[in-house]
Amino acid sequence: MANLVKLPIDQLKIDEEKVADYLCSRLRHYVLEYAGKRGGVLGLSGGIDSATTAYLAVRALGPENVFCYILPTSVTPRSDIVLAQNVIKELGLPRGNYELIDIEDIVNMFTDRVKIESNFIRGNVAARVRMTVLHAQAAKNNCLVIGTSDKSELTIGYFTKYGDAGVDVMPIADLYKTQVRQLARYLGVPEEIIVKPPSPALWAGQTAESELGIGYELLDSILYLRFDSWLSEEEVAARLGIGVEKVERVVKMVKQTQHKRLPPEIFRLSGRSHGSDWRYPREWR
Amino acid sequence: MSRKERGGTLRVALAQVSTWIGDVESNKAKHIRYIEMAERDGADLVVFPELSLTGYLLRDVAYEVSGACREALEEIKEACRNIYAVVGVVYEVRRGIVCNAAAVLGDGEVKCVVPKFYLPTYGLFEEARYFMPGNPHTDLRVVNSRFGPFGTLICEDLWHPEPAEALVRLGAEFVVCIASSPLRGLNAPVEGRPWIDHAWSSLINATALTNSVHVIFVNRAGPEDEEFFWGGSRVVGPSGVELARCRSMEEDFKVCDIDLSENARARRFSSFRVHLREFHEILSKI
Repeated sequence: MANLVKLPIDQLKIDEEKVADYLCSRLRHYVLEYAGKRGGVLGLSGGIDSATTAYLAVRALGPENVFCYILPTSVTPRSDIVLAQNVIKELGLPRGNYELIDIEDIVNMFTDRVKIESNFIRGNVAARVRMTVLHAQAAKNNCLVIGTSDKSELTIGYFTKYGDAGVDVMPIADLYKTQVRQLARYLGVPEEIIVKPPSPALWAGQTAESELGIGYELLDSILYLRFDSWLSEEEVAARLGIGVEKVERVVKMVKQTQHKRLPPEIFRLSGRSHGSDWRYPREWR
Repeated sequence: MSRKERGGTLRVALAQVSTWIGDVESNKAKHIRYIEMAERDGADLVVFPELSLTGYLLRDVAYEVSGACREALEEIKEACRNIYAVVGVVYEVRRGIVCNAAAVLGDGEVKCVVPKFYLPTYGLFEEARYFMPGNPHTDLRVVNSRFGPFGTLICEDLWHPEPAEALVRLGAEFVVCIASSPLRGLNAPVEGRPWIDHAWSSLINATALTNSVHVIFVNRAGPEDEEFFWGGSRVVGPSGVELARCRSMEEDFKVCDIDLSENARARRFSSFRVHLREFHEILSKI
């Protein structure tokens, strides 16, 4: 990759130890003190985001208070399931704190009944079935659902609304994918998971970078320069030595998916409604 | 040990507490516990962070906590018969008009309540939406305590040189700055510390040096919604040297003895005595 030298890799470097300690302490407070719950539930895909989140959660809450579920469909690669199972083993979760639940039947029943043929819509249904399973498990175990989204995917809207983003807390969502890789190595996530091409695995053969048409290093660099550093699209392109249309395409994804990162719109009638003038803290007492 | 036995030094307690947002009742109880602890440690003064009774990211809750703060101060002042305290409160100056303020308690009474002058309103900050800023003409106060005159400032006030300078030239022997500074730059620390810690170190040290006074900085520690307050409370002497420092990122409590006569020694090697008011005349016309 010829323009790699121009990427702001140095600015994206993190102090993994400090970040890990900080996120664990925040997660402990949020789950135990703010929410008053026992622990966390999360879905393991065999990918880097969910593995890293699981390692963090176990570090923060202890293996006995983390519940991991592998929720494959028929299009989930067998190798991903093996990687997810290996994470559970490495983390030493007690029996009863993990389960493989094949959701193919549930998704089939749903898509048949609702007459869905599109792979894309079916993929979103699968993501929302997983969300439903995780929330049910969380309720059973007095836990919160811990999200596994990273900042790259959240920012360009590469997630299913009320699916993988339908969670209580997102511990790694202020870390770009390239930063998650650094954190993953520090936490001891298996290398096969770190180097595997990221994929939502919502249909067979899907990979994130081919679907998005851009590699994560370049994507993260564009997002970092445009939004963290407030450079214009032209300045970002010049800094990275790429055509401005590439930057525009990424920014368009961010703008078009803004609705996915916000609560639903409410049309104002009264003097005060939920939204811009209903401003209370989350940890309101 | 009494102050006299310590040779006239002032003992300050840094109460780097975490606070539950909007829960004045439980925050008040914590204040009283810390005040009692400071008194047991022989402190003359105990300092709490900005908005320590209410929490910082109040948003619309800001309109509804001033009554509870006023009641809490009535109770806390009873614990301040033998010790002074600086407490962060929401203070209603006129019906419906609130300030982000520092209440100074001592001798069993509320000595004064000093509002914040510079209200940050950028990034996550939205203070000017809720609070009325202090008026330097009427609100700048030097408190004449039994251990010497001092002034209080709040967080952003220290990001401007004038408030501290005005307090010191009005006779303050030390400056107390209470803060709720949220963590920034932990991702990629500079020399092992987050960027925000470096920024504050520069400001605190510069304030101490340029005014030849001790600066007592007390920052909040702990989480609140998505933010996290990083602590790092400290005392810096008039030569810009750190005398005590609380832990970063967690609640902490520390006492520190301050020798106010250091101010005089520091001023022999500083140009503090020179103040060219012409610069202020120029500034006032820009």
